[in-house]
Amino acid sequence: MRLLSWAYLVAAFTFILLPVVVLVVFSFQDSRLPVPPFEGPTLKWYAEILADRALMEALVNSLIVAFVSALVALVLGFLAASGLARVYLPGTAAMRALLIAPMTVSYLIIALGLLQMFNTLGVRPSLWVTGIGHVVINLPLCFAILYAAIGEHQKNALKAARDLGASEVQVLWFIAAPMLAPALGAAFFLAFTFSWDEFIIAFLLTRFDVTLPVEIWSMLRSGLSPATNAVGSLVFLVSVGIVLVLEFTLFRKKSK
Amino acid sequence: MIAPALLWTLVFFVVPFAAMVLMSLAHLEGREVVQGYALDNYLRIFTDPSLRKGIFVSLEITALVTVLSVLLAWPLAWIIASRVPPRWQRLVLLLAVLPFWTSYVVRSYSWALVLGEKGVVMNVLVGIGLLAEPVQIMATRAATVIGFTHFFVMLLTLTIYSNLIQLSPNYARAAEDLGAPKWKVIWLVILPLTLPGVMTGAFLTFVLCIGDYITPQILGGNNELTMPQLIMLQLGRRGDFPMASALSIVLMAIVTLAYLASARWLRMERV
Amino acid sequence: MKTPTRPLVATCALLISGTPLAADELNALIWCDHADPALLEPFETANDVRVNVKEYEGTAAGLTLLEQSRPGDWDIMVIDAVDVPRAVERGFLAPLPEGTAPTGDYFPEVLFTDSVTVDGTVYAAVEKFGYNTLAYNKAAVDPADMASLEALWSGKYDGRIAIYDYYLPVLGLVGLQAGIDTADLDAATLETLRAPLMDLRAASRQVSDVVASQTALATGEVDVLIGGGEWLTAVLNAENPDLDWTIPEEGALLWAQSIAIVEGTERPELAAKFIEYITSPEGQARLATSSCYWGMPANKAAGDVLGDAEKAILRWDEQVDYLSRAQLYPVPDADTDAAMQDLWTDMLQN
Repeated sequence: MRLLSWAYLVAAFTFILLPVVVLVVFSFQDSRLPVPPFEGPTLKWYAEILADRALMEALVNSLIVAFVSALVALVLGFLAASGLARVYLPGTAAMRALLIAPMTVSYLIIALGLLQMFNTLGVRPSLWVTGIGHVVINLPLCFAILYAAIGEHQKNALKAARDLGASEVQVLWFIAAPMLAPALGAAFFLAFTFSWDEFIIAFLLTRFDVTLPVEIWSMLRSGLSPATNAVGSLVFLVSVGIVLVLEFTLFRKKSK
Repeated sequence: MIAPALLWTLVFFVVPFAAMVLMSLAHLEGREVVQGYALDNYLRIFTDPSLRKGIFVSLEITALVTVLSVLLAWPLAWIIASRVPPRWQRLVLLLAVLPFWTSYVVRSYSWALVLGEKGVVMNVLVGIGLLAEPVQIMATRAATVIGFTHFFVMLLTLTIYSNLIQLSPNYARAAEDLGAPKWKVIWLVILPLTLPGVMTGAFLTFVLCIGDYITPQILGGNNELTMPQLIMLQLGRRGDFPMASALSIVLMAIVTLAYLASARWLRMERV
Repeated sequence: MKTPTRPLVATCALLISGTPLAADELNALIWCDHADPALLEPFETANDVRVNVKEYEGTAAGLTLLEQSRPGDWDIMVIDAVDVPRAVERGFLAPLPEGTAPTGDYFPEVLFTDSVTVDGTVYAAVEKFGYNTLAYNKAAVDPADMASLEALWSGKYDGRIAIYDYYLPVLGLVGLQAGIDTADLDAATLETLRAPLMDLRAASRQVSDVVASQTALATGEVDVLIGGGEWLTAVLNAENPDLDWTIPEEGALLWAQSIAIVEGTERPELAAKFIEYITSPEGQARLATSSCYWGMPANKAAGDVLGDAEKAILRWDEQVDYLSRAQLYPVPDADTDAAMQDLWTDMLQN
């Protein structure tokens, strides 16, 4: 059983890591085709993508959209979670259900709905509109995480602060936010990641200024090239770097 | 305090959805959208063989992917939670979800490179003599399923693992003390306790899988079309918003049915 | 939470400030070959303008995009030459200022005067052309077989064929094989193509877009691509010189893209200047060898700018023969178009 376990672990990791390894290896491919045989290492595709104006702009756009939409989703989710945790109203269950609902709907449907609504209103597709879509998908996530993080203990603390005469803003800023800091961090991180990697909403709701996944998609459609591998590898390595840094800083704090 | 979030959801989720319902009742005349109140689009979805088949293709792929992912992820999560020394668990888990951080579009593309006839997999299988010659995986349903399963195994491993480590080891110990063999402990004690985590993960898999456009588009070789592909075809090639809307609503109805079917095991607030 | 985001914001600010701001912008609805920086940058630098591009797929989708836009949203549009009347009829295109794209040096076969001129007014300038025909791997296929479209239905290449995923040219080719001219394709003749299309489908491995087709051809997963041509194989020439294309005896489809000014533009002079640039010998040469796909320049004068190797890949010297054997894209009305797309969807789904 023990041997079987380790064999399974190795097999599973081979399956999980295979595409990433192949992606990275062939980003160094010294020919136009990112398939075997491997023809020796080169960095030219990295040079090419770093010099690609459209790609770099898309990267920045993605960062901005992800940052802003995650922040908005976080604030809205935080307010709603604290509000709903405060008192039990007859409509609480219904409101909670409404806030969670977008999570059970495919992104494609959310995108299509927004596209049609904005078309009717005469609003042009843009990064702003994409950001709005991303808040729609991330709000339920932030809300759910934060709502779950508010336990009895937290509720009592909030109630005590109010009883002592703190204003609602003070309660949120000085009591709720610090108390929920880990959950807030996790929610923001997840929302950021989801927005950063989201394709279909950004695809349907942008025009010239596109996000990175959309730009990668049009790269993919316009020709086979290890440059696509290079973009993927670059995004991968940078994200993993950030994750590792976060992991080790948070990890250290915990062990203290 | 709840108002801003509610308002946001109303304006940018409920209203667009209502607009979409309205649009699904319209139809295309020449190239103009004409608003009407007919169920023709829905009727066509269920009578036109190509559109109807899309529903089945989507359901079959999604069901297969969901089951496969659970079957593959559960043992992995269990091994990480119970076999890997605790101090290494976080690292191993991190490794298990590493490909999350490649761009999602790129992930499918890498699978296309891996699974192609000249790809790594075929090279190895033919090289070690397991296959006499390459078989076609790329541009088949198998490729789509592999691409999907890869992603969802990672997702499910995470949700099942977090469920497993929350279980008190006492359950297993008690069963073992009573003389139950190891497999029986896993099957009768641990597995049922992880059911909520499994169901939540499975539902998420279902929703994300059935609504995804990229993976089947890149890996499926257009040999059959899923619902999202049909929707994008209506949008991208024809500008047929009414039909795209109707298809979306059918898609959403399917997800809702899946939700209702699994609702009693789900803890959506706790994903 | 503050710590990880601060460098992030700093990076954003840095990157934004690093982007040069152009004085003016031009919004263009294009095909992917116009997105090549090597093509756009000389124009952008010379005129201190930023060209924003948005790709679209198929005329129907492009017209829908315009439909949903407001006047002034778009300045330039790249469109199938044969579809210009359709766009003009719906009021999407503005007349081309006289003398914008002089056609004196053009290949006479690709002037498309009947299409780009509506009621005596010129609305678009043809810029690039090529063929949807048979692309193949000559190391794996007997080139003699490629002399006829019949080979694809013969059974000899079953499982080694890919179909290019664009309904107009492929339906056109299936029509040619059945002896129907593209001009005669309508709802009635279309039904007779259903059976051969499905047979072709059964013999093929995949229906794929440009990249998937290239991948499949280059890696040997398929050996023949129906609907392909120089635009697909030229960029791969350096890697795999065995990739070739031909025009079979039944003929092939001539594609020609044209460029036009969108009605309602707020920058008509700049838009005209851009068209002037694209149809100039230098612009034509860059467009012909664009990174996305290659194609023949409509303006023969580009031949003085292009190198011999590039001209060889484009088969510059054989164009007269090719042009004489190629037919135009089908120009379906809305109903026929819908019927074609239905047929295409059925083909994909079965």
